[in-house]
Amino acid sequence: MTSNVIKFIHENKIVEINNPDPNETLLNYVRTKLKKTGTKEGCAEGGCGACTVVLGELKNNKINYSAINSCIIFLPTLQGKQLILVEDLISKNGSLHPVQDAMVNYHGSQCGFCTPGFVMSLFAMFKKHSKFKDDAIKDSIAGNLCRCTGYKPIIKAAKSLNSKDKIDHFTQNKQNTITLLKKIKDESIVIYKKDKRYFAPRYVQELKKILKKNINAHLLSGGTDLSLVVTKERKDINSVIYMNSINELNYIKNNNNYIEVGATTPLIEFESYIEKYYPDFTAILKRFGSVQIRNVATVAGNIATASPIGDTLPLLLSLDAKVVLRTIKKTKIIPLNNFFIDYRKTKLKKGEFIGSIRIPLFPKNIFKAYKISKRFDDDISSVCASFNLEVINKKIKNIRIAYGGMASIPKRAKYCEKILLHSSITEQIINKAKEALEKDFKPISDMRASRKYRMEVAKNLLHKCFLEITQKKLIRVNN
Amino acid sequence: MIKETFIQETRPHESGVKHVSGYAHYTDDISEPEETLYGAIGWAKKSHAIIKKIDLKKVIKSEGVIAVVTSKDIPGRNDVGPVYDGDPIFPTKKVEYFGQPLFAVAAKSTELARKAVLKAKISYKTLKPIIEIKDALKKKSFVLKGQTIQKGDPVTKIRKAAHSLKGEFTTGSQEHFALEGQVAFSIPQEDNDFKVYSSTQHPSETQQIIAKMLNQKSNTITVVVRRIGGGFGGKETQSFIFAAICTLLAKKTQLPVKLRMDRDDDIIITGKRHDFYSRYEVGYDELGVIEGLKIKLASRCGISPDLSGAINSRALLHIDNAYYLPNVSVENYLCKTNTSSSTAFRGFGGNQGMMVIENIIDNIARSLKRDPSEIRRRNFYQKERKNITHYGMKIEDNIIHEIFDKLVKTSNYKSRKRNIKKFNLNNKYLKKGIAITPVKFGISFTTWHLNQAGALVHIYCNDGSVHVNTGAIEMGQGTYTKIAQLAANELGLPFNKIKVSATRTDKVPNTSASAASSTTDLNGAAALNAIHKIKQNLASYVKRKYKVMNGEPIYKNGLVKFKGKSFRFNSLIKEAYLNRVSLSSSGFYATPKIHFDKRAFLGRPFLYFCYGAAASEVLIDTLTGENKILRVDIIHDAGRAINPAIELGQIEGGFVQGAGWLTMEEVNWRSNGQLTTHSPSTYKIPAVNDMPEEFNVEIYKYGKNKENVVNKSKTTGEPPLMNAMSVFFAIKNAIASVRNYNIIPDLDAPATPEKILMSINQLRKKEL
Repeated sequence: MTSNVIKFIHENKIVEINNPDPNETLLNYVRTKLKKTGTKEGCAEGGCGACTVVLGELKNNKINYSAINSCIIFLPTLQGKQLILVEDLISKNGSLHPVQDAMVNYHGSQCGFCTPGFVMSLFAMFKKHSKFKDDAIKDSIAGNLCRCTGYKPIIKAAKSLNSKDKIDHFTQNKQNTITLLKKIKDESIVIYKKDKRYFAPRYVQELKKILKKNINAHLLSGGTDLSLVVTKERKDINSVIYMNSINELNYIKNNNNYIEVGATTPLIEFESYIEKYYPDFTAILKRFGSVQIRNVATVAGNIATASPIGDTLPLLLSLDAKVVLRTIKKTKIIPLNNFFIDYRKTKLKKGEFIGSIRIPLFPKNIFKAYKISKRFDDDISSVCASFNLEVINKKIKNIRIAYGGMASIPKRAKYCEKILLHSSITEQIINKAKEALEKDFKPISDMRASRKYRMEVAKNLLHKCFLEITQKKLIRVNN
Repeated sequence: MIKETFIQETRPHESGVKHVSGYAHYTDDISEPEETLYGAIGWAKKSHAIIKKIDLKKVIKSEGVIAVVTSKDIPGRNDVGPVYDGDPIFPTKKVEYFGQPLFAVAAKSTELARKAVLKAKISYKTLKPIIEIKDALKKKSFVLKGQTIQKGDPVTKIRKAAHSLKGEFTTGSQEHFALEGQVAFSIPQEDNDFKVYSSTQHPSETQQIIAKMLNQKSNTITVVVRRIGGGFGGKETQSFIFAAICTLLAKKTQLPVKLRMDRDDDIIITGKRHDFYSRYEVGYDELGVIEGLKIKLASRCGISPDLSGAINSRALLHIDNAYYLPNVSVENYLCKTNTSSSTAFRGFGGNQGMMVIENIIDNIARSLKRDPSEIRRRNFYQKERKNITHYGMKIEDNIIHEIFDKLVKTSNYKSRKRNIKKFNLNNKYLKKGIAITPVKFGISFTTWHLNQAGALVHIYCNDGSVHVNTGAIEMGQGTYTKIAQLAANELGLPFNKIKVSATRTDKVPNTSASAASSTTDLNGAAALNAIHKIKQNLASYVKRKYKVMNGEPIYKNGLVKFKGKSFRFNSLIKEAYLNRVSLSSSGFYATPKIHFDKRAFLGRPFLYFCYGAAASEVLIDTLTGENKILRVDIIHDAGRAINPAIELGQIEGGFVQGAGWLTMEEVNWRSNGQLTTHSPSTYKIPAVNDMPEEFNVEIYKYGKNKENVVNKSKTTGEPPLMNAMSVFFAIKNAIASVRNYNIIPDLDAPATPEKILMSINQLRKKEL
């Protein structure tokens, strides 16, 4: 069944939009069509959180609430979901939601412009977690910028929620919402609007058919990068295939040799799964972007975008990940190491899509990853480094090192690896390996860091990695 | 006259409930008439160039475009400069910075307008730009002539001093990044009048600038501001161009126009904090007491004077911070560069001046291998002697010793310092540092005439509810809440009977900007003055009618008690109305005592000083330069705080903003003048994990303003930002540990990971 009518739940009702503009952002719709102005635009690129709204989605007969940046979400992707805005948190009798009440009583707002975004991020936390510990609180609001408060009163407000009754009017109305969500769920969307096309298939078979006919279509997943073409470059994206309605591709499997992550699995799910195997991977993902970004962004999206500063990429490269590419007829498996061709260019051809990513398990190896940026949260790396190696009797048995931010593509440090492979860990060898990085990389200067700093830090991170290995402890300011 | 009836009442922000539920309306949230158009600005892609041709044919034909305006559409003054000209709305001949507005469009939607402006074809003849301060100094490129000030004989004193030091120091620029960007909404009225909603800290000047641009009288323009989503100085003058262009589009189309800036355009077009470069030479004795000091102080002002004169003047007035400087000279240079015009930013040059002296004191302590806190204390202004500033003002309210000494104790500074030294001995790669710094900040506009405010108060006869208007702009600092608290206290009424409503130029005229930390001091006093006048009307009525004895009536708990006769407030108001007594009044306030001779650089520019101190502990990674603030303790003076919760919010928020300025916030221009940091992805303001892990903030318990300021309070607008200086010097302290504190590190602000690592590298290479 396909339709050009978008259906979603808002204020306990099914809302229908007939053939919407596929390039319209959710924020724009909320502010100019729904005329709900509580949700604010702060940056239109998912970097400040002022536009945060919460989406409810049905999963295993439960409602999963996720905070997202409405400024970089296209309206049609709302299909089948529940939309919750800051105004909706107030009960029918006019009383504030516990989250709102806490923000008032703990003086969490000053100018108030960022406040609706904070309220929504905290609301998502309130629905998702049972206890609100410091880590969960900070993670929940790390993608919300406030220029007035310095955050302390907001954290206090969030902590105070621990003593509050968890039942709110969304809980009370849960059955009704589930019934409504079930009613609107099973539809593939096809929109033709002037010269714009939008497809949201629900099955891989459907996707393949659409791809065949629309070979130039952009594949849209979380859209945290692609949407900026519309909001910042002010261009139209004429043909879009939205991947994230395909449930078949939303999975994490493990066959003890490798973990396979489906293309539409959001980072937020991946990060908690991978922690057991590679804790540093999770630590980097927490800083990859805000919860709002990680709720929609995917590993596959990060790979396809192929940015030299995509934070998952050096990590995946050092773990020797493979990309499962699918076409209408075939499936091929390419090592990620061969996938990137040039600045933002990959081997992904027209008519192909990434089905999944395979991440090998190295139970005997040491895996370390480091991210250097001006700000801890939600910043772009000046350098990101990842090390995966096996050490037996102080000798390096196998090693893969990859860096981001050091070249036009994320890249393995081949010369450096060569020096270290089969060597003993000595100061001399490490110094030689550091020197070799100069053969591997010719970084550039930009607003994030100078060429000189990038090279020096790249070397020092290698040094740090071996210090941590030999001293058997972490040497990090954020620990 | 201000009476001593004090309040100290913690209550939430007057708009708190609306903030959290999305019903607080900002300019972009005001409901629009159906025919409203939306604007966008086309700007220059060169930093210095002759404009050869602006071809807008494709812009005009672009989908949804209704009108285009250029300099030719301006009937009056084509400039938004507040004090001097130099900030053209649309330059006619020459582009002077990358991002300078050249034309604007009105279209059927914001998206269509923004798409249209990209279609302009502009040809230029490129000229060589000046971007850096040092380049401007070399080429003698200035926006205004800088002042040279001198007290005593620094040259001789430095020569004769037991010790001396020389050095250079830079502090960086800073983007305001108010979460609500620049926005205006202009609606044509009859008679060619305009009603302008603007996100501005300065409605009166917005009104004047629009009137001059349109060649109309000021009484034809009404500017309305209910609240703004953060200002920090970035909407003191930088909002004018948007309100002006928006109204120009409204005039041309005769339709309502909204102009909301995209974040990147906003940052590219508007001015930021001045970065300052200084060179100094200081002479001091064995104990580290400064005997003579010579400073050359230059700032990047951008293309025009804007407020640079006052900002540099405040830097000169704060070159002492809390320290007595017996012999000092400062040469000041206001560099003209091809960058957006640098502007007001919380601290307004004061913090930049203070960083200069703090860095010098820190270096003196390091050269003598003494604890910097000891040297700081030793140089403090004294109470009875050594209490005259370099601009001749006697400091009468000095409490820096009390605050500083208390903080040394409560923060356990000394024992923590010992533990840090131990930690550093045991850790080769991670190093800790600690520093404690004082703040003394002068309050009043240094431009004398700005120290005035007006108010309008009505009491309604049927229910005794009170309506207050002032010139204050609510920008998050809680001024509406505090003014309402003052009014409620003055009338003995509950808070909910007072309404402070939108600030409008047709209600209170000739207002000063909400700036210089003075908003509540000035406007609160004006509101009280209006209330006093109404109270006088009531008193003379009661005395006449009931023949009660003279003496001040008491307004409390909804009652008004005269000697021998008591009324319920509402009944008295109703009765007064029926007896034809005026229940409405304007109010006025002008700051007393202040005077300043700018030429001689002598006088009393400030009514009072705010004090504070902060102790910060940091951890740095000597392999990467990464850093983390571990613990911060602050004691800050708020006088008798009107609303301690609001003051605490200002102190904490100001500190974090200051820490951003001195650590991670880095404004970056290419050598061609193109700004590369213009979005949250490229310009980083502190996020939640940048807040100190342990953050102890205390309002100084014994605070009381010596001067007659409302409630004997002291402002907490700008001063708390400077508590963040402690973070910078804690980082410097951590760096110094790399060479066992034997060599002075070179470190400029902001102390980004890169700057920290480079400082460590340099230090490692230095000879002992």
